[in-house]
Amino acid sequence: MAKFTIKRVLYSAVILFFVMFIIYILMYNMPAGYLETKARELASRPGATKSYKEWLTDLNAQYGMDKGIVQGYFVWLKSALAGKWGDSWSWTIPVTQEFHNTIWYSFALGLISFILEILIAIPLGITAARHQYGFRDYFTTVVSMICISMPTFFVATLLKYIFSVKLGWFDLTGMQGRNYGNLSDFGKFLDIAKHFVLPAATITIISIGGLMRYTRTNMLEVLNADYIRTARAKGVPEKKVINYHAFRNTLIPLVTTLGGSLPGLFSGALITETLFSLRGIGYASYNSMTAGDIPFTMFYLAFISILTLLGNLISDLLYAVVDPRVRLS
Amino acid sequence: MSSYDLNEVLKQREKRTAADHMKERMDSGQAGAYQGNSFAHAAEKSVDLGDVSRVRVLSPGRQVFKRFIRNRLAVLGTVILLIMFFFSFICVLFYPYGQKEIFYTYASQNVNYALAKANTAYNGYDIDPGIAVERTVVNSMNSNIKQMIAEGQDEKVVIGSEGEYVIRRTADHIYTLSSLPMEEVCSIGSGVVQVGTYSMVGKSMEFTGKEIPGVAAEASKNAKGTEGSFTVDGVTYTFTKGSKPKSFDIFMEQDGILYLGEELGEEFEKEVSSAIETGSNGFTMDDVSYVLTQQGEKYTVYSAGEAAVAKIYTSYTLDTFTTGLKVADDFRAKALMAVTEDGSFEAGYEGTDSASFTIREDGDVLFVYDEDGREFAEFSLFSVRRYSGEDTMDYELKKVLSDKIEEMLAANEKTGTVMAMIPEQDENGAYRENEDGSYVLDEVEMRITQRLEGEYVINCDQINFIIDRFASPTRAHLLGTDGDGFDVLARVMYGGQVSLMVGFVVVILESVIGIVMGGLAGYFGGWVDNLIMRLVDIFYCLPSLPIMIILGAIMDAARVDPMKRLWVMMAVLGLLGWAGVARLVRGQILSLREQEFMVATEATGIRVRSRIFKHLIPNVMPQLIVTATMGLGSVIITESTLSFLGLGVKHPLATWGTIINSVSSASAMAHYAFIWIPVGLLICLTVIAFNFVGDGLRDAYDPKSKR
Repeated sequence: MAKFTIKRVLYSAVILFFVMFIIYILMYNMPAGYLETKARELASRPGATKSYKEWLTDLNAQYGMDKGIVQGYFVWLKSALAGKWGDSWSWTIPVTQEFHNTIWYSFALGLISFILEILIAIPLGITAARHQYGFRDYFTTVVSMICISMPTFFVATLLKYIFSVKLGWFDLTGMQGRNYGNLSDFGKFLDIAKHFVLPAATITIISIGGLMRYTRTNMLEVLNADYIRTARAKGVPEKKVINYHAFRNTLIPLVTTLGGSLPGLFSGALITETLFSLRGIGYASYNSMTAGDIPFTMFYLAFISILTLLGNLISDLLYAVVDPRVRLS
Repeated sequence: MSSYDLNEVLKQREKRTAADHMKERMDSGQAGAYQGNSFAHAAEKSVDLGDVSRVRVLSPGRQVFKRFIRNRLAVLGTVILLIMFFFSFICVLFYPYGQKEIFYTYASQNVNYALAKANTAYNGYDIDPGIAVERTVVNSMNSNIKQMIAEGQDEKVVIGSEGEYVIRRTADHIYTLSSLPMEEVCSIGSGVVQVGTYSMVGKSMEFTGKEIPGVAAEASKNAKGTEGSFTVDGVTYTFTKGSKPKSFDIFMEQDGILYLGEELGEEFEKEVSSAIETGSNGFTMDDVSYVLTQQGEKYTVYSAGEAAVAKIYTSYTLDTFTTGLKVADDFRAKALMAVTEDGSFEAGYEGTDSASFTIREDGDVLFVYDEDGREFAEFSLFSVRRYSGEDTMDYELKKVLSDKIEEMLAANEKTGTVMAMIPEQDENGAYRENEDGSYVLDEVEMRITQRLEGEYVINCDQINFIIDRFASPTRAHLLGTDGDGFDVLARVMYGGQVSLMVGFVVVILESVIGIVMGGLAGYFGGWVDNLIMRLVDIFYCLPSLPIMIILGAIMDAARVDPMKRLWVMMAVLGLLGWAGVARLVRGQILSLREQEFMVATEATGIRVRSRIFKHLIPNVMPQLIVTATMGLGSVIITESTLSFLGLGVKHPLATWGTIINSVSSASAMAHYAFIWIPVGLLICLTVIAFNFVGDGLRDAYDPKSKR
């Protein structure tokens, strides 16, 4: 198992190397004169400590733009490995600091919707499987289809329209109410929590469909298995058959996939956070990307690539951990 | 391998047996009355337990089709998709509006309609354009007239650099500017004066002023070289080579007075010296006015001739009773001149060469009457004009407004309102006319606000021909119009075309790449497989949405053309999506490769290429079609998301995403739900339909597979 893990980690590192290289090529091909304008802008900012020329050489050296693509990439890689991610251009603070400022909001949002997703989707999926071809099955199938088919921005806009514009329950955007400053600590927490309701609902609606279908499929497979028929034949109460024998076996693929999506809790919800102006990492990176903030974008893309690879690794490992029949090689 | 269709064979055999039965009956000569009976007998006979036709055998394609149409959701999805295609590609042909057609409407618009102000500036009109007036004099007319008003003068002499001018007050608010022709009389003081020019060619002397005896003779003797001097009667003359060839300019040192013409006597010289002492620049003697100009120590005296009126200045503005009638400045000039005379004048105006008029003063207003004694125009000190400065307002309207302003002045109010009839304006800004040629008038409230002392802004809600923005759904525009005056329904149709096209192009692209890569990897295995699968891993790991966002930002910066953007976007989406297809194809091929029919193809020596693409890929097709159908939905979502964010397809090209994007701001979203909700539902519906069809296909292809 340890050998397998090490092998996979090394293999992931190689993939990451090439993924970042492709992204670097994209960044490198930003329109001509981009760094020049950026340097001019940075030098003319109030409180700028460096002149235009200093900024330009600085930027060129920092991103290896003065060299070819391949050499430039190695320059970037070297400083990235040393932990030097540079200063964000649009946030004017070190990239890592902006990361610390935003990541926990994203994680909170991700975690809330993850829990909600599990609480809603899994029971519904199991119910649908138990009543296959019944009304409940069709209902959940259609609902999950609708959830899968809705674009995030439409769900977000619809929720905003209903709950903010028409009902006036929540603010349209932002993370804090108007009198946030006057609230007690607990009040502040509640205020922020209130602003997280609609974004969390959006993400939950978008993601329950897939999990619901996945649960239903796996539950159906388990229910058709021989050991369930055996249990029923023995006269085990239906409740016990479902909750004890069937559900536990359904959990095997579920835990694997859900475990694999755990790192994704940190990756932030790009569109949802942007639409609701939640200052999470998704919002920060969206603004960085559109503003051409190379340091932060490179950091963010590296970060989510690592998260994706980590997710794959975790789900492979969990597969072996949860199901003793599987042997890793 | 020729195809063997069991159904066809069975059908043919059935036909054959039926024909045999018929033949039998004919041969036995049975009567028509028994025919029905015999048919039933024949049918009974054909359904024999051992007969093959007892079992209906369907071709695999028909089996799939049958299973597919049994799935109600899948059929629903298919119907929705067909409607969507019909809507986007066929309806558009019959829909009268284009996607970039801007609609206009007559709607009330708050405008600054007019500006009313008391005229204090003086405008000049030419009386005699033949008299040249210096620009500096013209430019300083307003200040000169103001100075005259302040000092209560009726006449003022202005000395320009080239001549002398007189400003005379002829009536209230009317001043004339006259030019005086000037003649040099004499020069006084010490300095060098040019006496004349001596020409070597004609051996003649040309004097500037009076001829001085003896100078010509001396000049002809001495004029040589470039310069020199000679003396006549004790006065020293100097000469230099002149500007013309072979000519000399002759100068004399003077002190005292030098007449250019005849001498004017002692009295004149006394007047001149007193004028120099007092510093005045002119005096009058014997009804001739003289003007002095100073150049250093030297003074030059000019005599002024008869004054000729060049321009007339007034602070009156002319309003004709016929709205918008164009009257030349010449008319104004003649009318104003007539004020001081008998009041009658002849002038032309727009459409008429000449007509006679009379002008009469009445209080602050000068009325102009035509031959029949009807009011033709009036000069007033208070002008009401359109805000743009054009004089296109109706006389009655001007009257209403100026009366109201007078009322306001009397009551010392700064704002006031008055009801008035104003015309509607069409797309060219011209007044809109009824069929009979009269203006279309609406009664509106004119709001008058004092802006400065003596200046009023008149604001009202005028009905103008403006872009029909955010019109609510009506019969003409079933989904209303958007922020640019485009018809939303037309844009939804065209947007559907783009969205569906993007979906298909991307899916086809990623399928082609995926099949080729996956086929190669699966069939060859070994290092090819290893290489391609590592590539697949890399592409799997690439975060596609951020990459599309960055690409959109780059294309924004490079200002890429909207159509080109669309193609780039489709290409990149296809490139980012092939990994999944390749993985699927490879997996399928790995299992198919070991099956007997592949061994058979190897044994029969079929070429590698046809082994992959003719025998392996068709077996992967069912799965591929299912994935592609589901993929179509997700591509449409991605495209609309990018367009919604403004990073995909760009305005004015319509896609479902850009339509929603155009009303994505908080206020637009709240007010114009009739635009974005139908479009959003359309996206959902299309994606759901693709998913239903994909699901249905999967079940139909392989009923035992996992859902």
